[in-house]
Amino acid sequence: MRSLRFLAPFLIYSTLLTACGGGAGSANTTESLSAAALLGQAIFKDPSLSASGQMSCQTCHDPSMGHASPFTTAVALGGPTLSDQGGRTPPGINYLKYNGAFKFDADGTPKGGFFWDGRANSLAEQAKGPFLNAVEMANADAAAVIHKVSQATYAEQFKRVFGADIFNDPNTAFERVAYALERYQIEDTDFAPFTSKFDAVMQGKEAFTPEELRGLVWFNRADKGNCAACHPSTKPDNAPAALFTDFSYDSLGVPRNTEIAANADTNFFDKGLCGPTRTDLSARTDLCGAFKVPSLRNVAKRNRFFHNGKFTTLTQVVNFYITRDTNPTAWYPADPNNVLVYNDLPALERGNVNVTEAPYNRTGLSPALNGQEITDLIAFLQTLSDR
Amino acid sequence: MTFKTTLIATAVLLACQTGHAQTAKEVAAEMRQMREELRQLRAELDGLKKQPEATATTATAATSAPNATSAPAPYASVAPQREAEAAPNAVSLFGYGELNFTRPKNNIAASEATARRGVFGIGYRFNERTRFVAELEVENAVASSGDSGEVAMEQLYVEHDIDDGLSAKMGLFLLPVGYMNESHEPTRYYGVTRNLVETAIIPSTWREMGVGFRGVRDSGLRWDAGVVTSFDLTKWPSDSTETKESPLGAIHQEGQKAKAASLAYYGALNFDGIPGFNVGGSVFHGGIGQKQPDIASPNASVTLAELHTKWQVGAWDLSALAAEGRFHDVSGFNTANSAGNPVPDQFRGWYAQAAYRLWRKGDYSLVPFARYERVNTAVNYSSVFPGQVVSTGPDNKVWTVGASYYLHPQVVLKMDVQKYQNDSALDRFNMGVGFHY
Repeated sequence: MRSLRFLAPFLIYSTLLTACGGGAGSANTTESLSAAALLGQAIFKDPSLSASGQMSCQTCHDPSMGHASPFTTAVALGGPTLSDQGGRTPPGINYLKYNGAFKFDADGTPKGGFFWDGRANSLAEQAKGPFLNAVEMANADAAAVIHKVSQATYAEQFKRVFGADIFNDPNTAFERVAYALERYQIEDTDFAPFTSKFDAVMQGKEAFTPEELRGLVWFNRADKGNCAACHPSTKPDNAPAALFTDFSYDSLGVPRNTEIAANADTNFFDKGLCGPTRTDLSARTDLCGAFKVPSLRNVAKRNRFFHNGKFTTLTQVVNFYITRDTNPTAWYPADPNNVLVYNDLPALERGNVNVTEAPYNRTGLSPALNGQEITDLIAFLQTLSDR
Repeated sequence: MTFKTTLIATAVLLACQTGHAQTAKEVAAEMRQMREELRQLRAELDGLKKQPEATATTATAATSAPNATSAPAPYASVAPQREAEAAPNAVSLFGYGELNFTRPKNNIAASEATARRGVFGIGYRFNERTRFVAELEVENAVASSGDSGEVAMEQLYVEHDIDDGLSAKMGLFLLPVGYMNESHEPTRYYGVTRNLVETAIIPSTWREMGVGFRGVRDSGLRWDAGVVTSFDLTKWPSDSTETKESPLGAIHQEGQKAKAASLAYYGALNFDGIPGFNVGGSVFHGGIGQKQPDIASPNASVTLAELHTKWQVGAWDLSALAAEGRFHDVSGFNTANSAGNPVPDQFRGWYAQAAYRLWRKGDYSLVPFARYERVNTAVNYSSVFPGQVVSTGPDNKVWTVGASYYLHPQVVLKMDVQKYQNDSALDRFNMGVGFHY
């Protein structure tokens, strides 16, 4: 004790200070949207900004679906008469405010970016795309969009916020439209509610059922579902809770979907990062077939899964992951001699498909999950739906 | 050592008998001359000690190699002597460490213990006028691709005394801004963590590459001036987390392949003429756009100015500092990056601090302190387009109350409580240990 006597003055003083630490309190937060975000909200819901007059952003990004596609078809119908097929399933756009610009990590892994192929570097850049896409809102150019905005009920407010003469410069005004949509997605908590059962459990307010808890284990275990490898169930630095995506890309070998008319052409392949929609990485054939890893929040609400909307149920999706390489005949067509695996990629690029990680790396072995474990996993995935 | 002491004592006595007050410049010159004489004497003594040994070695060599020439190389006798001259005190080791524990009052899950900094320094004196300093810092214990630690050269420079009272340094060095940037050993400041103003506004530990000069006058005036590298606007992140913590800290270059198309100039003036009292200030101005063609503000710049004062009287240690920074010509950058995180026009902060040595026994002492700070890293934005959403502040108003308990003047235990008046969610309790050598 003598040796500690020299600490006595410090300890006494420390105790006094700790005891006088002050009362608790919490920061005030306001849910009000900025003027730009309010305009973004109006624009997001305004079908008059499309050539058809019937398609708004919300048409394909339904709030009740976690801002994902409400359609039961693989892709949406758009264009001037709402009769033109889109090329891919409208993705869910919740939680994207935690995403960043497209980049390659130090180890060469592609990360970030918006759209299924990451070709836009920000929410604002992404927001401009559908306005001018011929099979979506189908406006001829920025001026056509801005003319419609200038006729909208919120046109005066648009001028008050962005300048009285903003409509005289359609290109700048179009940038402001994109900016307003971005602010709306950043500021409105509907785009990142964190209100799922999973969140409640993490906050200690609810408990998983035994089935859901086992599902979480299969989700995380590297030798079982290994879902967390790309859909982390842990909180990243920049978000209040887990996002269930690392915003990376993977080539999964999802079967070709013949519901998409473009796929009738046997020479056409939608190869994600390396094109043809995205054009800057066409030389990177090693990236062909890689699409964005989406957040699994609200995944159980979706009608269609993967970039081409090939699957219609979560059970199908999980079974595909688990048995893709242990029972390929269940997923791919076969000719008399062999199964045409990974048939939505040209033969030369099928080697890009991820076969090295669990649960795929079990060719010739039993599947990584059995029937009960798959049921558990799906039960867990259903806890990720915002309420 | 006895001889050295006698020599210095004699010199001091002689100095006292000269009958007039010496200026600081004269004393410095005299001390330098004395050290030079002492070193020569020590070298001669070392030479004498080694003589029998050298003679024996030569004899052995001559015996084993009778045909070898006995003539020494032209400078063979000089080089060893010079080595012997420089060796005794040429190398110095120094450094410091600080290990902290932080517990946010309203977020226990965010409690954290970390070996915040370990700094290892080495100095080498070539002669009385020229020296080299290197300081290696390891932050947060481990630095790897999977950890958030950092290994960095904090300083790496050569310094030369041009004349009595005038020196120059070249390399990577700390800028003479405020108090903490140049003197940040944990034993030398109050609080477990460094004060907010000198981390958020003045991005200590702030170092740049370049050339700097320092002059000291007999009156107690000390001036600094130099030309150095500056900041890099292309590093400005689209997310505001880092820039809200420290606008300049987010875009510093720290001598790592620093863009140097635009340089910076700094000047500082301090008055130390009254014992225990200091007052001073500094100005830094540098280009941050770095003439980069891929950003919309290639000629953007920043100016940072600060004033500081300290008064150590009796058991009291009182100090205050105010700093303000302004970004210029960033409107193009802000317009082009409207999506994310615009650059503010202005950021500023100030603090006032009082410490009192409450108790002392031998090397032990207890020094409670209190500090009030006000810091705003984004005071206003003017170069944004109408309707752009910008977030000023936070306007942090922070009380820090705590104590430093010294086990030795170079070893300190610290604890404090921080109360954020603007956001109680940030209130925290901190403990730490620090040392320097």
